[in-house]
Amino acid sequence: MQGPTFKEIGAFGYNRAEVDRGYTDQVLSVNLSNSEIVTKPVDERIRKVFVGGKGYDLWLLWNAVKPTTKWDDPENAVCIACGPMGGTTNYPGSGKSIVSTISPLTSAPIDSNVGGFFGPYLKFSGFDALEVTGKAEKEVVVVIDGVDEKVKIIECSGLPEDSYETSRILTEHFGDGKPREISVVSAGQGAKNTLIGCLNFTWFDSARKRVRYKQAGRGGIGTVFTNKNIKAIVARWDKVTLRSNRPADEKSLKEVGKAHSTEIVQLDPKQHEMAVLGTTHLVTIMDDYDLLPTNNFRYGRHPEAANLGQEVYRRLFDKGFDGCWVGCTVACAHGIKDFVPFTGPFKGQKVFVDGPEYETIAGCGSNLGIFDPFTVAEFNFYCDAYGIDTISFGTALAFVMECFEMGLINKEHTGGLDLSFGNRLSALEVLHQMGRGEGFGKIVGQGIRRMKKIFASEFGADAATMQDIGMEAKGLEFSEYITKESLAQQGGYGLALKGPQHDEAWLIFLDMVHGYMPTFEKKAEALHWFPMFRTWFSLCGLCKLPWNDIVPEDNKDTEEPAKVMQHVEWYAKYFSAVTGRETTPEGLITMSETVYNFQRIFNLKMGFGDRANDDIPYRAVGPVTEDEYESRRERYDKQLVEEHEVDIAGKSTAEKLAILRKHREKRYEILKDSVYARRGWTKDGIPTLKTVKRLGIDFPDVLELLESKGVRE
Amino acid sequence: MIKVKDRKIPWREGMTVADVLSEIGDPYPYAVVRVNEKSVSRPDFERTTVPDGAEVYPIPMVAGG
Repeated sequence: MQGPTFKEIGAFGYNRAEVDRGYTDQVLSVNLSNSEIVTKPVDERIRKVFVGGKGYDLWLLWNAVKPTTKWDDPENAVCIACGPMGGTTNYPGSGKSIVSTISPLTSAPIDSNVGGFFGPYLKFSGFDALEVTGKAEKEVVVVIDGVDEKVKIIECSGLPEDSYETSRILTEHFGDGKPREISVVSAGQGAKNTLIGCLNFTWFDSARKRVRYKQAGRGGIGTVFTNKNIKAIVARWDKVTLRSNRPADEKSLKEVGKAHSTEIVQLDPKQHEMAVLGTTHLVTIMDDYDLLPTNNFRYGRHPEAANLGQEVYRRLFDKGFDGCWVGCTVACAHGIKDFVPFTGPFKGQKVFVDGPEYETIAGCGSNLGIFDPFTVAEFNFYCDAYGIDTISFGTALAFVMECFEMGLINKEHTGGLDLSFGNRLSALEVLHQMGRGEGFGKIVGQGIRRMKKIFASEFGADAATMQDIGMEAKGLEFSEYITKESLAQQGGYGLALKGPQHDEAWLIFLDMVHGYMPTFEKKAEALHWFPMFRTWFSLCGLCKLPWNDIVPEDNKDTEEPAKVMQHVEWYAKYFSAVTGRETTPEGLITMSETVYNFQRIFNLKMGFGDRANDDIPYRAVGPVTEDEYESRRERYDKQLVEEHEVDIAGKSTAEKLAILRKHREKRYEILKDSVYARRGWTKDGIPTLKTVKRLGIDFPDVLELLESKGVRE
Repeated sequence: MIKVKDRKIPWREGMTVADVLSEIGDPYPYAVVRVNEKSVSRPDFERTTVPDGAEVYPIPMVAGG
């Protein structure tokens, strides 16, 4: 078999900007249409307002696109940025890259926070952020070589279609005997053939002597990447130390990093054992609380859930250090060694599966009615290899399976596949069809929003039913939590800027289990503070897990345990120590609030970003079917009688269902009002003039946009 | 004996997770309690027994996700 060939078509030599206090103040801009490679300076105001990471991505993207720009237009940019603290080696969770683009699913900005070494290597090579625009004529690899101070665009041929092997070959090729110096970003054939493509970010695991992968999963970023004809982006960097970021106060950084790292080492083994089990502990806990999505979010528990629980993965995960960046003590990126797929192009071969995490287990397991951990591992492996987001895949296929069981679609539409819940072989075949770009899999790969239209117009399926059960909002598929009994988390999903992903707010336990926020005002306050603070991690190149997944022993006795204020104070100290910009916990929130509001306005620029776009399907709010109601009848009857003062005597299930729906939908609208008011937005969900001025994002084009929407105060 | 965080308390036959929490006099509404390597959620506290020699660790679980 002929090996890959590489032909350089563009090159750019540069003098590497040294990192100072976490920043290089340079952006690398690559236009693939004309092979132009340039650097752009970052000025003081931009640094102050946007901080870094996702903030820089959004600023670059805002300037790259017009309101009419579609995801596959050449001017759409794929932006990747680290952040001022990204690349720190003594603070847990400090190696993240944040990726943004205009999403093929939502047609608005999407962002994804991912591990691996790319972001830090990009920065140490001289760039706070990378933007790639244009489209190459043939498949290319972009190489950012910080050691030799060169950026190259290389046409390539003969590389495998899948991301798994491509990354391995490129690491070997460009590493030239030093694979640890290489991080590769790539997608795969599934990203090309669907709209739910993800990106794989790598690091070389020296102990296991293999390339490892983490995914920037949400919103079809991998699809945009392949549409630009990018095969991969490679970063090369060599030595990494605590001084690589040239922190403003090294002593303070050492102290705060040691405090947090030590606490995790001491407490993680007692709490959730994330260094051993990752996030798999959540499966049985969610099941216990009726929160584990089962059969397309119909139900929240299943008798076989333990088959996908932590005790299974304790045995399956390969033992060893699994940090996706240097010095992380959470080290949750586990994997399964010598897994042998029983279907698809890797059938019968030993592979290493990077994962699964909770979301993949719930999305590709329980939500499909599948309770076999090996099938989940196979989904995980092929989604990564093909470059497909496991969450969108799982949620989209769960919708399809419910449509199939309801008779809205049938075998004539699925190409003969029986897509009943639990049918693992048919489900895997759909995934392989996505990889091959053929059959019914190609339709599923369009995502739920487009499927609803196709099923209605071409298959005659009932649009209203699909609207209720299709778990997407803003065009993005829901991540994997049941929200029916948590109004706050309904808002956490529905009001999230990019669509229903839990990284903005995860309030289920606070709201539903502990009952800490009984009023709309308290829910609104939580839906202000938590999305703001959670956003901050993506501005700085950080992972949020060390903040609140392992908590101090006395945290429960603090005034607001959910905020884990001890850690928030450490993060403020960490930020100050690296950047030299003194801040406080309140200062962190303001940083985020600035970027958060800017992103909301960016949604507005793209034709969204108002009240109507914060709607969610009724399946996320309450029981859609009579079966669902009957399965938890006691709960719903009680709510109707006690909370809504309804006389249910003599009422049919259908009547009770309708009354409950009316109340719940009304509650969600009141929640919107409360949250908009707390965030300083109009009744229509648009930031007011006063808000944008307070936050310093009153750029001329922002003011012009608000004016065009009638926002004058 | 069983160990609850850094404290030791006597074990008795049929002792449940709810009994352990009552024994240590901690009224906090924990969501999850770890018993050795297993997680036990609040709905199961009353019916889950704790073996002799177990290490028990209550987890509030107010955050996460």
